[in-house]
Amino acid sequence: MAELALETPVLRRPALSAEIRQRIQPVTLSGQKVLPVPEILQPLFPWSGVQRGTSLGVSGHGSWALAMAILADALGAEGWLAVVGAPNLGLAAAAEFGVRLDRVLVVETPSAAQWPTVVASLLEAVDVVAIAPVGRVGPRDGRRLSARAREQESVLLHLDGARTWPTVVDVNLTTTVDGWEGLGDGHGHLRSRKVTVESTGRRSAARSATVSVLLPGPDGRLAPVVSPAEHHHSTLEIVRI
Amino acid sequence: MAGGDRLVTRMAVVWCPDWPVVAWGIPLDEPVVVVVGNRVVASSPAARAEGVALGQRRRDAQGRCPDVAVLERDIDREARLFEPVAAALEAITPRVEISGPGLVGFPTRGPSRFFGGDAEMVNRVLADVAPVLAGRGDVRVGVADGIFAAKLAARSTKARLGGAIVVPPGESPSFLAGFPINTLEPLALTDVLGRLGLSTLGAFASMSAADVLGRFGREGQLAHRLARGEDDHPPDLRRPAPDLAVTWMFEPSADRVDRCAFAAKALADELHAMLSSNGLACIRVAIEAETDDGEEHTRLWRHEGALSAAALAERARWQLDGWLGMAARRVESTDDPEADGSGRGIRRLTLIPDEVVPASGRQLGFWGGRAERADDVTRVVGRLQGLMGAEAVSVPEWRGGRGPADQIQLIPAAAVDLGEERVATGAAWITEPWPGQIPAPAPSKVLVDPHEVVLHDEAGRPVMVSGRGELSSAPHSVVSGKQRWLITAWTGPWPADERWWDPLTQRRRARLQVTLDDQSAHLLVIEQQAWFIEATY
Repeated sequence: MAELALETPVLRRPALSAEIRQRIQPVTLSGQKVLPVPEILQPLFPWSGVQRGTSLGVSGHGSWALAMAILADALGAEGWLAVVGAPNLGLAAAAEFGVRLDRVLVVETPSAAQWPTVVASLLEAVDVVAIAPVGRVGPRDGRRLSARAREQESVLLHLDGARTWPTVVDVNLTTTVDGWEGLGDGHGHLRSRKVTVESTGRRSAARSATVSVLLPGPDGRLAPVVSPAEHHHSTLEIVRI
Repeated sequence: MAGGDRLVTRMAVVWCPDWPVVAWGIPLDEPVVVVVGNRVVASSPAARAEGVALGQRRRDAQGRCPDVAVLERDIDREARLFEPVAAALEAITPRVEISGPGLVGFPTRGPSRFFGGDAEMVNRVLADVAPVLAGRGDVRVGVADGIFAAKLAARSTKARLGGAIVVPPGESPSFLAGFPINTLEPLALTDVLGRLGLSTLGAFASMSAADVLGRFGREGQLAHRLARGEDDHPPDLRRPAPDLAVTWMFEPSADRVDRCAFAAKALADELHAMLSSNGLACIRVAIEAETDDGEEHTRLWRHEGALSAAALAERARWQLDGWLGMAARRVESTDDPEADGSGRGIRRLTLIPDEVVPASGRQLGFWGGRAERADDVTRVVGRLQGLMGAEAVSVPEWRGGRGPADQIQLIPAAAVDLGEERVATGAAWITEPWPGQIPAPAPSKVLVDPHEVVLHDEAGRPVMVSGRGELSSAPHSVVSGKQRWLITAWTGPWPADERWWDPLTQRRRARLQVTLDDQSAHLLVIEQQAWFIEATY
């Protein structure tokens, strides 16, 4: 939407360099408050990041690792994360991806009756609330919580791919594992995993996009897939310099 | 260098060494350590003589000194038991300010003149405090220009009992000059200074103030002032307007600390919100209470940095707890049957910001708004605890461990100050490697209830691990109920013999990493002949 606005005659101005446009964009377009995501994942998101006030779902093998990689960038040094009803989330892995553990709250799974109240309270104070509801969420609660997230400009992260959610989430990321590296027949250890991530969504995210990444890469963090040819190429360049 | 244009307040500091140990009521000649999250934070002299040091791991301390008693730190108790010491000093001066349990200071100008000199005043302090401690602990006094020098003077005393150092007026800079640079804080700053060759406070003090400010900013400027023996009060200190005080009336009066704590929390939040809306932060707060029988108590608490709302509430709670505890003891000690405890309840609680500085500019969030994040979060945590129970919200901390479930421990959010830096949340907290630990990456899903499975080899026989940590045969498939997956690759086993010295809690386990034909990767663990999926990558 916002990009269209720039094209309208009213706003047409002498061309700005890409860098300057990028810098002024967030200030001028208030509808576009975006939490940053790792650069290689940007094509998956309509605004190149997680828009505040929206919902994000992840599903598939390795999707929690994907969520952690996204959270690490989205939360940065100051953002707070609350995890509700997902006691299985591996926080050591989250820390390896770069999530700051001193900005994490872990909340016990609330009873079905308290669940909406608890999530609504958290949406007021933290930037991202990660949830994995046990039972189905009623349409009224779903609407209420989505509205609360929008109004508080926080993000609802569905760790279960919004299976139990009554409405469609804004962006849904589905992971497919292409293979692991490092593990042999009785030797080695798991090192890195190649994952293809597909994003689907509604409204501005309606077009789907696909990205292949290493999750985690050899250094334990999100990394781009480097094909042997590319690798070779980059070495050559360095030699030339 | 115009440094002497500010008058430095001459201060006395009364320090009770090893207060966390003393507060537990244990004689100092017994080996004792007080720990927080597995690290030694205080120890008795007897334990130190055996080689126990601050910051050591509990296990190392126990290794050095096998018969050491290990106690968890109880800061509420420390504060409560320290109140009688502060109250004893009130006979000498009304302006007693507590830095923390075990450390209290006051300006000496009035008392010194009254008692006829610093030395006489110090004797009086020692004479008044010693009976309160009743031989359970030690007391040291330091007198110098500025509270920083006075604190160092108190800490430099050597005598077993009644040690005191009085630095003559005007000699604080030369007294400080010989101290090592790491006497200052923060570590990040002193580390750099040390590497620049400034190994003592004297060397740092000889730098020009403008250069220090230019290179190290406000933080460096403050440290520099301390090193030069100037007042630690920031130059922009001001007295707040009196209408910034906040008051809570108890109806009926409160005689239990939990009711007080609730009021303290509410007041602290209110005061903090009011100050921050004025762009101020509080570095010294006066806590005032009035009891049923009209008695008024006041105590000052100070903090090197600015007091967060949680820190304000904590200090108010400590103080009320101390007063209530003293009142209760007074009732017990009188034989008067009329003294039934009425009149000792607290009727009014007031928090007065005594000294404030401009808030050091915690950056507003870029998106306009949530500057008081930690406070917001703390508030919501409080609400959820009210709703779901005190243990419902927790925060993660690193603990060493072999298995993925042992590496992170959840501790109740109520036990920490969310607004302050917590060392145990950084992976650097674990300094030594754990032998037998599964190599990184860590699994993204760690099952709270491991899922039992059966492991088969190619011939369909169950795969087991021998007592020597060897697999009976190569694993081929994982079976769970009616489902069956082929193993595409595997490695291990990593044996983990945990707590082998204790027959009751001993656990022998071994772990395998496997990838399955659905491209999932898991960590399997065998314990007592049964395999479980412990974690998923």
